[in-house]
Order: sequence, then structure tokens, then C-alpha cells
Amino acid sequence: MTYQPTAIDDDQINLPKLPCWVTTGRAETPETVAFQSGAALAVLDQLVSDRAHGVPVKLLANRLALSAATATSKLEGRLAREADIRDAYHLTPQGDARGPDGDLLAYWRKAAGLRLSGRDWHRGLEGIVGQSFEDDVAGWIEAGAECARTHVPLAGCVAVLRTVLDADDRAERVACLLSDIVLARVLNWKTVLPVTTRRLTKPALRDVVAEGQGAELPLQVRILENIEETIRLARDLAQRATMLQAVAPKLRAKGSDAAVALFLSEDAVAPSTMLSPMIKGTTIPMTDRAARRFCDRLVELGVAQELTGRPTFRLYGIVR
Amino acid sequence: MTRTAMNVAIKRKSAKGQDASSGDRLFDRELEDLPQELRWREWMGRIEAVLFASGSPVGRDDLARVVGQGASVEMLIEDVQGELTGRPYELVQAAGGWMFRTRVQFADAIKAAADLGDQSLAFTEMEMGVLCAIAYHQPIDRAGLKDIFGKEVSRDLLARLRYKDLIASGPRAPRAGAPHTFVTTETFLTTFDLQTLRDLPELDLAVGNADEAARPSQA
Repeated sequence: MTYQPTAIDDDQINLPKLPCWVTTGRAETPETVAFQSGAALAVLDQLVSDRAHGVPVKLLANRLALSAATATSKLEGRLAREADIRDAYHLTPQGDARGPDGDLLAYWRKAAGLRLSGRDWHRGLEGIVGQSFEDDVAGWIEAGAECARTHVPLAGCVAVLRTVLDADDRAERVACLLSDIVLARVLNWKTVLPVTTRRLTKPALRDVVAEGQGAELPLQVRILENIEETIRLARDLAQRATMLQAVAPKLRAKGSDAAVALFLSEDAVAPSTMLSPMIKGTTIPMTDRAARRFCDRLVELGVAQELTGRPTFRLYGIVR
Repeated sequence: MTRTAMNVAIKRKSAKGQDASSGDRLFDRELEDLPQELRWREWMGRIEAVLFASGSPVGRDDLARVVGQGASVEMLIEDVQGELTGRPYELVQAAGGWMFRTRVQFADAIKAAADLGDQSLAFTEMEMGVLCAIAYHQPIDRAGLKDIFGKEVSRDLLARLRYKDLIASGPRAPRAGAPHTFVTTETFLTTFDLQTLRDLPELDLAVGNADEAARPSQA
């Protein structure tokens, strides 16, 4: 049986979006970059902070973590593909080693789950960045945030990138994470969105370490592009989440509410491990078969996709 | 030092560690009654002793526990290293910690004289080849290794590498039967003196890629 794909609601048109004067003009001078990044950050901040817009922030953070992992893998010279990284993370049995690719995604997902509120949020960070940096990170973030306050936010991001890479030129993943944290601190977010990494390239980072001030602008432009892309992703996710919520009442499977909630927080759901024998994060049981049928039903209704293209070991998500 | 001697030392150390955790007062970290100079020397001695007693790298946190609150482990280690110039062993950083190691030039002498027993890591050519393939292509399963070597890689060989704790089970490969893949371990990094997998020598046959092409200029 086929189903009419769910139509997108009209009120989604009201989601904040980037004005065309940001997307059309190319930012080339420090002033235009500052101006356009200000506009872009305002839109992203509205999308993420205002719950009324319905952006699934956790899902957004997890999806961005995957992109960041892929980009970091490239920066580190491993060149793992996104699908391989996702597989390495999701197909590792409990207690086994994830390998370098899976570890990288685990790093970014932990980073995306970091809470920035409370006095001892540094604690969580120290566990993520590892021993060799744990003493310095707090100071670096403070310096970056200070630079972001006196100049522009993106200048703070680039400043912290440079500081970390100056200290250790192979610490790309730590540098990118601290840049994300500086941005989150400046915008007063409670969680970290991994937006910095996606379009960074090795030569760009090398230049900023070697030349300093002069090479900062191209890096800022890249981060600005990342932010624009994140806005598009956030809008897309908000629409798809609304579609999923619209069909949720039609789902009759036991525990379907919890399963829908899982789809609204995870970018990839493995039915055989995350939905059964128990829906992840809950104690609601679901059989293997019920989990598979549930995912197939979501695909049938046009609100989820199969991500891998494989007949087995499938992963489902509401966005590719 | 033979493995047995090392194990005894470690056992003693861990027994002592338990004592210390049950009553922290007994162990004087700060040494406030000593003059500055002597205190520093005592701390250096403690770090050296801990590293000497341990067969595996010791992390910074563990070392920080035997010296004063504000003392820099890195500086203490630098001072210890300074005293070791010209000795046949050295203090090196490996896999997230520090460890004592004999210098490479004495390897032959050690092999000739000592009964290394299970510490010996003599590899056959095939074992080395498989280990390299896993290091570069991890996570990889037996079918993947077969594609590389053109023949089945025996389970015994993989079991030997696993017994030496150089490889471990990784994620499941998404194929029929869900075979598990192999990944390298911390011990692998220590054994081959690598900080991270990025220290693996670059392969010349790396496929053309914009980043790849740009890399030689960086070196």
C-alpha cells in the first residue's frame, strides 16, 4: 500500500531564514564578514534558542557531530568517509574497541552533549580533550571568548583555533571543539553545536599558524559558510521533525512515542540495537521485528529514510 | 629487568596504592619539612621509581598523585630526563604516558643475553604484514584482509596478534554473518613508539587527493 507523503505545514514558512543580502554578496573584507556573520548568527541563534520554531536541537547537534567527524578525519589525514565513520560508531558491540573512526565520532558526539551551564562544566570538557590539554583549555576558552567580545565572534573562534594549533599542530579536533565552545559561550547557548569544522581545510589552518593575523579572514569566511549551512540544516530538520510529529498519531506500535522521540534526537537509528530489545534511553521493550516494521513504516509514510542502502545492518534517520 | 621482577614490583606498588587510598595521611605528598631543593629531588626520585616499577606507560594523573599539589609533572620529568643522558635507557612519552625503555642500540645485546620469554615480540613476515594492513585499514575484517593478501589470513595468526594485545575486536562488518573487524590497541602504539596512528609512516601509494597532494610541501 502506498501513502500520500505528508505535506509540509504552511506555518513552516515563518521559520527565520537568511536574508538574501547575506547569501548573495560574497564576504571579502573584515567589515563584510563581520556584518554577514552577525546576521547569520542572529538567525541561527533564533532557530536554536526559540523552542517555538521546533528545531530538534539534539538531533541537529548529533548530525553536525557526524559532519564534524568527517571533516576532522580529513584534517587528520585519515580521509574516512561519512558512511564508514557512522558504521564504525553504530556497529561496534558494547565493550569492543570502536577503532579510530568510531572514536572520532564518539569524541564529537560527547562534545555535542556537553552542557555549558553550571559552574563545573569544565570538568566534562577535561574528560573529552585528554590529559595533555586539560590544564590549558579553560584559559584558552576565556581568551577566545574575550577576543570574541572585543572584536567579533568569529575572530574569537579563529583566535582559539590558532592558540591551540600553535601549542600542538596536530590537535585539530581539540582546536575545532574549543572554537565551537567559544561560539556557544558568546551566544549564551547551553550546549555546543559543532559548526566550525565542516569546511576547514588543512592549508587554511596551516596558513593561520604560519602567518597569523593575515590568514585569519579566509578562515572566518569558511566558518561563516559553515554557519550558513547549519541554518539550512536546522530549517530542514525543523520541517522534517514537524512532518514526523504530524504522522506520530498514526503509528500504533507499542512504544511508538518513545521511538519517535529517539528519531528526534538521533541522526541514525539502528533498529536492531537502538529500538530493540529496549528503546534506547527507556525501559520500553520492542521486539526485533516490531523495530524493523516501525522503521519501514516511517519510510513508507515518507518521514524517514534508510541511510546506508544495504539490505541488512540498516540505519534509519529523518535526514540524510 | 625480567617480567617476573616487574610483576612483583607492580604488585607491591599496587598494594601500596591501596594502602595510600585507604589512608591518605600516611603518604606525604607535599614534603613540607624538606627544603625546596631536596623536596624537588625527592619528587624526581618518586617519579623515576614509579616509572621504573611499571611495565606499561604511566599517565600524568597517576604521576601527579605522588608529588606535591602544584608541582609540574612535565618539569620533573624533564629534569629526570636531563640526568639520564648517556645512560643505556631513556624516559620516553608513549601512548598517553611515560615509560622507561632501553635505547634501541642495545637491542642486540639484550637479545643475546636475556631470556625474553613471553616479552619477545618476534614477528614472522606474514604477521608483520597483517599487522600493517590492520593498522592502515582499520577497521578491517578477515574478508578485507583476504582482499589485500590474496589468500585467507589464518585465524591462528590473528589470535597470536590478539594474544600479544596488538589488535582487538572492533565494530561489526556489515556483511552476512556480521564478522567482527580488527583494530589496533594502545599496546600497538607503545610497541612501535607511536603517539597516535597519525605517526604511521605515509604510504607512497596513497591515492590522489587535493589534500594528499598538498602534504609533501608541509613536511
